[in-house]
Amino acid sequence: MKKILILSLMLVLVFSLVATAQAQVKVTYWTAPNPPQEVFWRNLSEKFNASQNKINVYVTAMVETPSSESTITNAVAGGKAPAASGNIFPGFGATLANSEAVVALDTLPGFDEIIEKRAMKEIIEGWKFADGHVYILPVYANAMLFGWRIDTLKELGFTEAPATYSGIMDVGKALKAKYPDRFLIARKELIEPTWWQRWFDFFMLYNAASDGRPFVTGNEVTADDEAVIKVFKFYGDLKANDYLLTMPATDPFETEVSIWRSLGPWSFPGWKERFPELVINKTFVAAPPPLPDDVGLSYAKTFADAKGLVIYAQRSPEEQAAIWEFIKWVFTDPINDLAWIDATGMLPMRGDLVTNSTFDRVFKEHPELIPYADEMAYAVPAIANEKFSDIQTILSDKGLVPVVLGKVTPQQGWADAKAAIEALLK
Amino acid sequence: MRKSRNPNRMKKVGWVEVRGWFFTSPYLVFTLIFFILPLIWGFYLLFTNWNLISPQKEFIGLLNFFEALKSPKVHAAFFTTYKAMAIFMPTVLISSLGIALLINSIPRFKGIIAVAFFLPYLVSGVAFSLVVKGVISYNSPLSPVFRQLFGYIPDWLGTPILAIIVISLMITWKLSGYYALIFLSGLSSIPKELYEAADVDGATSWIKFWKITIPMLYPALYTVMILAVGLMFGIFTEPYMLTGGGPQLATHTWYLEIYYQAFSAMRAGYGSTIAFINAIVTFISIIIIRKIMEGWGKAYGPV
Repeated sequence: MKKILILSLMLVLVFSLVATAQAQVKVTYWTAPNPPQEVFWRNLSEKFNASQNKINVYVTAMVETPSSESTITNAVAGGKAPAASGNIFPGFGATLANSEAVVALDTLPGFDEIIEKRAMKEIIEGWKFADGHVYILPVYANAMLFGWRIDTLKELGFTEAPATYSGIMDVGKALKAKYPDRFLIARKELIEPTWWQRWFDFFMLYNAASDGRPFVTGNEVTADDEAVIKVFKFYGDLKANDYLLTMPATDPFETEVSIWRSLGPWSFPGWKERFPELVINKTFVAAPPPLPDDVGLSYAKTFADAKGLVIYAQRSPEEQAAIWEFIKWVFTDPINDLAWIDATGMLPMRGDLVTNSTFDRVFKEHPELIPYADEMAYAVPAIANEKFSDIQTILSDKGLVPVVLGKVTPQQGWADAKAAIEALLK
Repeated sequence: MRKSRNPNRMKKVGWVEVRGWFFTSPYLVFTLIFFILPLIWGFYLLFTNWNLISPQKEFIGLLNFFEALKSPKVHAAFFTTYKAMAIFMPTVLISSLGIALLINSIPRFKGIIAVAFFLPYLVSGVAFSLVVKGVISYNSPLSPVFRQLFGYIPDWLGTPILAIIVISLMITWKLSGYYALIFLSGLSSIPKELYEAADVDGATSWIKFWKITIPMLYPALYTVMILAVGLMFGIFTEPYMLTGGGPQLATHTWYLEIYYQAFSAMRAGYGSTIAFINAIVTFISIIIIRKIMEGWGKAYGPV
């Protein structure tokens, strides 16, 4: 009798488990192949799975060989896409959206709640695609700034980082007079065609000079011609005056070979280990991009190295709804954004970072992140066009690189690049 | 009279054949899945503008070929390969042959020393590129030496000709030990009697090298030349890590362009087309080198 009772209980238990498992919707989320991000998403999925029993989220890192974009492409092509994935920048998002591979997130219930709770009403405007829909939910953004060696600047007689092109030229002149072997900036990428490097030189200055005017809209080049030419000329002048080093150099900013560089917050953990003498406001400062002298703005826009997540259209509506529940659960609680900063050292994309008291502790512990949070509202995401890499390669090959090398004038360089980009977009 | 077939023997032969197919099947299945099918798929992609995920898939005939043949980047890849070959072939032949002769002349521990020279072949291209980048950087310990000797620091990667020389020499360093092993096996198979006979005739070392060693090394030389030519069409890691194909396409290679088109621009069809053209150019180049080598072999080789 006892045996029958135990057996019955076990059967009930097994059936219950099976029934629960069957009722549960299992979904997969692919995170960037980056240990801090993996840990962040795994922790949250475990908490979410424990908080309810209808959805089970499995988090795994995507493969990054040869690139995370090609891994996603292969998965979509093979019908094996996850329910959602992160690490998507606007250009690749455009490829996915144009291929009908991802879901328009603004059509899903609760989208507005996320936008409201993250104070992203204005930010999300920059993430709308040509058809007016939002396909990528921005997760984090590094509003790119320029780092200045304030110790050297003070030594040269400047009390703060220059904010205009002529101010920078003045610093260059003073630097060369005192240290002929040093440079304002060391950036060999300025003579290389690598398309994504343009985010960290050209687009930082272009967004500032043009007040964030879109470079491409749909299939048209809508760039501010004057702003492009000014940026080209500025980089050309830096090289012509020997203020720009285009040879490879090991840690040039850190070793004072150069005193100016584009700077993302990902550099800080490494500096803490290898260059502890680099302390914000003591040896370096992080400042917005400089402006051309005749642009009378009180702020300078910059490039946003931002990535977000997408939901894949090839998964069933139940799976899409399930992963959306998880996403809503994650992004409507600022505590999770705090955990994100603690795990990754990068700032989440939200409009209230400076004003929301949840983040006070972070900025107290990491004052170097304050300028990045301040600049967040002025950060413009990458071109949202599926030919993003070709556009930026042409910009390099026909425009910026020949101008820096002194082969063509800034006007000619932009005329050539613009004509080639227009031909590409036709 | 027609011979009658032995059914037992036939059965045995049939079983042997089945066993043969069975034991080779893993390789055949592997080849089918990872080589033949992708090859057919790649061939199909040549005629499309598909990005692999779009529901719209257009058959565009030969447009990918026309675009590739007109592309300045494909032209650059073509010429970069031959420029690199012009530097790499003589340097790698001299250094690998030098290493092989050196090791061959050592009385003991030939194997260990040969393996030591082979080690660069196993070094990660990425790691080696980072080391080279450090060595030729503006603030490397070498820079003051150059400044003192020549009054300036050469812009190794910013000058087109220097950039291709640096990349070619990096590949030479990596491959010399490997090719030296091939030459070493060639050297060990040259009969000693030939050198003894030459000694009797009063030949100098120089004459023995050119009249005996080089002609008798023909099979090894042939192998190395073919391998080296093929290798030049697959350069990727060094320019990817050091120059990105610049300055002004001076180090732009076939594989850089294929990688860019297929994995950055997501143009699978166009990327496959460039890979196909690369395969044809490689094939033709190898045939030409083969013909030259065979001609040389007929005139001066051991046969």
